[in-house]
Amino acid sequence: MTYVTVEKINKSFKGQTVLHDINLSFKQGEFVTLLGPSGCGKTTLLRILAGLIDPEQGVIKIDGKDVTHVKAKDRKIGMVFQSYALFPNMTVAENIAFGLKMKKLDKAAIQKKVARMVELTGLSGKENSYPRELSGGQQQRVALARSIVTGPKVLLLDEPLSALDAQIRKNLQKQLRAIQKELNMTTVLVTHDQEEAMAVSDRIYILNEGYIAQSGTPHEIYTKPVNEFVARFIGNYNVFKGEELSLLTRGTEFPHKLYAVRPEAFTSQMIDNGLEIIGKVDKVMMLGNVTRYELFSNGVSVTAEHLHKSNEDIQEGTLKTLYIDKKDVISLA
Amino acid sequence: MKIKRPFYHYLTIGAVLLYLIVPLLGTLIYSFSTQWHKTILPEGLTFHWYKELFGDSVFLKAMGRSLILSFGATVLSLVIMVPTIFSIVVYAPRLEKFIQSLIVLTYAMPGVIIAVGLIRAYANSGISMVVVTVGAYFVGILPYMYQGTRNSLRNIHAVSLMEAAEILGAGQFTAFLKVILPNIMTGILVSSLLSFSILFGEFVLVNLLVGGSFETIQVFLYKKLNVSGHIASAIVVCYFILICILSVVIVKVTRSKKETV
Amino acid sequence: MKRINGMLLSSLLPFLLMVVLFLFVPLIFMIYGSFQADGRTGLSLNQYAEIFRNAYYHQAFKNSILISFLSSLIAILFAIFATYSITRFSKNTQNRVLIFANLTSNFAGIPLAFAFIVLLGNSGLFTLLFKHFGWETLSSFNVYSWSGLVLIYIYFQLPLAVMLLYPVYQGIQSQWKEAASLLGASPLQFWLRIGVPVILPSIAGTFSILFANAMGAYASAYALTGSTYNLLTIRIGALTTGDIFAKPELGSAIAVLLGITLVAAMLINEWLTRKVRRDLS
Repeated sequence: MTYVTVEKINKSFKGQTVLHDINLSFKQGEFVTLLGPSGCGKTTLLRILAGLIDPEQGVIKIDGKDVTHVKAKDRKIGMVFQSYALFPNMTVAENIAFGLKMKKLDKAAIQKKVARMVELTGLSGKENSYPRELSGGQQQRVALARSIVTGPKVLLLDEPLSALDAQIRKNLQKQLRAIQKELNMTTVLVTHDQEEAMAVSDRIYILNEGYIAQSGTPHEIYTKPVNEFVARFIGNYNVFKGEELSLLTRGTEFPHKLYAVRPEAFTSQMIDNGLEIIGKVDKVMMLGNVTRYELFSNGVSVTAEHLHKSNEDIQEGTLKTLYIDKKDVISLA
Repeated sequence: MKIKRPFYHYLTIGAVLLYLIVPLLGTLIYSFSTQWHKTILPEGLTFHWYKELFGDSVFLKAMGRSLILSFGATVLSLVIMVPTIFSIVVYAPRLEKFIQSLIVLTYAMPGVIIAVGLIRAYANSGISMVVVTVGAYFVGILPYMYQGTRNSLRNIHAVSLMEAAEILGAGQFTAFLKVILPNIMTGILVSSLLSFSILFGEFVLVNLLVGGSFETIQVFLYKKLNVSGHIASAIVVCYFILICILSVVIVKVTRSKKETV
Repeated sequence: MKRINGMLLSSLLPFLLMVVLFLFVPLIFMIYGSFQADGRTGLSLNQYAEIFRNAYYHQAFKNSILISFLSSLIAILFAIFATYSITRFSKNTQNRVLIFANLTSNFAGIPLAFAFIVLLGNSGLFTLLFKHFGWETLSSFNVYSWSGLVLIYIYFQLPLAVMLLYPVYQGIQSQWKEAASLLGASPLQFWLRIGVPVILPSIAGTFSILFANAMGAYASAYALTGSTYNLLTIRIGALTTGDIFAKPELGSAIAVLLGITLVAAMLINEWLTRKVRRDLS
């Protein structure tokens, strides 16, 4: 049963089309991510969902109702902004309570709901602080609490973690996902960080230049990129022309134009019916638990990644043989 | 995206602009009119008042005095203030508090008040009151010179620039002249033009301190008010055109600075 | 052991010399003079007692405060609405209006007073126009009266108010409005609960700057009628330089009191700005 549907949304600014016939659909309680490089139109799409800007064409339905022409304040949507947009003249508790006050709930009910949100988001003890007295991560949690306390039908997140340090960001991703699951909150996240998208989403839409390039679960997207853009944007895929692959594997036929291979799909162990590549090791790089290096063969370079093993020593300038399973060579559209 | 603008936005801005522009326009027309005492519209248009004004050596001399006074005070301020603010920002940031309290003090002591003190201190000291006026102008434009110079220094990260220059072997003074100064030139030029245009319109200090003995353009205008309205309006128009030119230069310089950054 | 910084020392000395000579020395002379009896003799509180006793000086205080308060109030009211309207236009238009405001803020003192005489003087352009249409009440308006002076004060306060309030409105993020609207607030509710509370301290601060600006103004009133207006600054000028009735010690005492008023206005502004900074990031 679909909960939110977006049909044929078009939008242009100053004669330049930024969204072309966008279609989305997702179920209640799903965590959906709009992923893409900056300028791909993902934030515009989110703001159209929120009702902050109007599309030129298309229909938006939430919970079975057409809300295309419903004002933002009446759409029952929660939103966390990139800058958090906390009200500077209000304390944490007042910020969280704002939406409830607008609904004219009685004081006791407001107090109870705010207290529960403060606890859920781990803000206990900060109720009477002003936004500027909080760290970035705390401000982000206040913004989250403020947007979900009113029980919106859909929660929209506009790059909510992009201003935070890597460590805090990882923690907040986990918390965000946990809270979303606990409340079964239908959530749409906008981000340019593919790792973040992989970590939290049920479903990902990849946008490029106003078009949806691919949609699917994180696993589908990662293992089966459909075109060069997705392959390059998700993970550090090797993208080869058919003739390059033939050169590398010394003669095997590759009829399609483009192929993608994940760097970690290469292995030093012999594979039955696998392809064999021999080349010279170059540019060895330590990336924590992984070693990345390039292999040059017949004028083509291959990027490969291996987990560390104490008995394996990869030296620049030496010759090395790599194997790859045929099913890991993905042909692209 | 088209922004919907209700009519009252035009109304409020229109009202303010109208209030600010009508006196200017009235003066402009008046300065070109032959006679305008009984009729609704001027009886005729003429360049006569401008010809008379520019043929008046007293006017030209007053103009010269105003230029010398404003220019002198601005240059003096440049020579003294810029190195001072530079040293404070780079070497003694704690003194910024001191400068800021000085600025509050200058705001609390407008022309009339400072003139009273200056007259009491220097009127019988043998020091020329013209020199005293220049000194008072120096203090008067302190806030503008400080703001402009400090902001420029912050924008170019003067502290790191100085450290880099000194590590590369430049002496303090060389680094200031060759690295800092060229980079803050536009910033201090804008502050100087602003200060100059403020001083050019200054009347209180010069009137109370030196009065008729050193007649600037403002004092000259004051004397003409009761002699000939047409000539006075021609002076006002000339004065306003000068401010316009200075403002245009300030805007242009500020823009070109933004483009290069 | 701290190194002596040659550049700091050599630049600071002439600067300090200038500040001492032309700010501190006159300040001290003025304060000292205010505690002297007429003719630079002895120490006394006579001058302050005189101000306290003499209804004429009470009047001067009252007039100065009244005209400053009134002109600041009217200017800030217009500026609050007009400046908000300005922020609703394109960046280009905004810049142009601001440049114009900056330009007219330089148009003050003698030239400004004269421009109003041209418009509203005895044979001013508007006066003639109103006479022609037979609008008695309007044509009898006198620019040399208090209401005329108020008009002039508003003129030089208005552009200043616009320029001071513009950055205040810039501080209101459009995302606050969007967030409030998504949480169910109407535009009016946004302004009542967030917009106005956020800018109120800055408006009060701007008001105190305008007030101080008007309290210290001298040239416009002087240009209109010389020394007839009973304003503090006009009194100070007349007592200090007047040839016949010069009482510089009394002038100093009034100047000290005016200075204290201005410092108070500045302190209120400082305090309010700091209050804003406490909850603004």
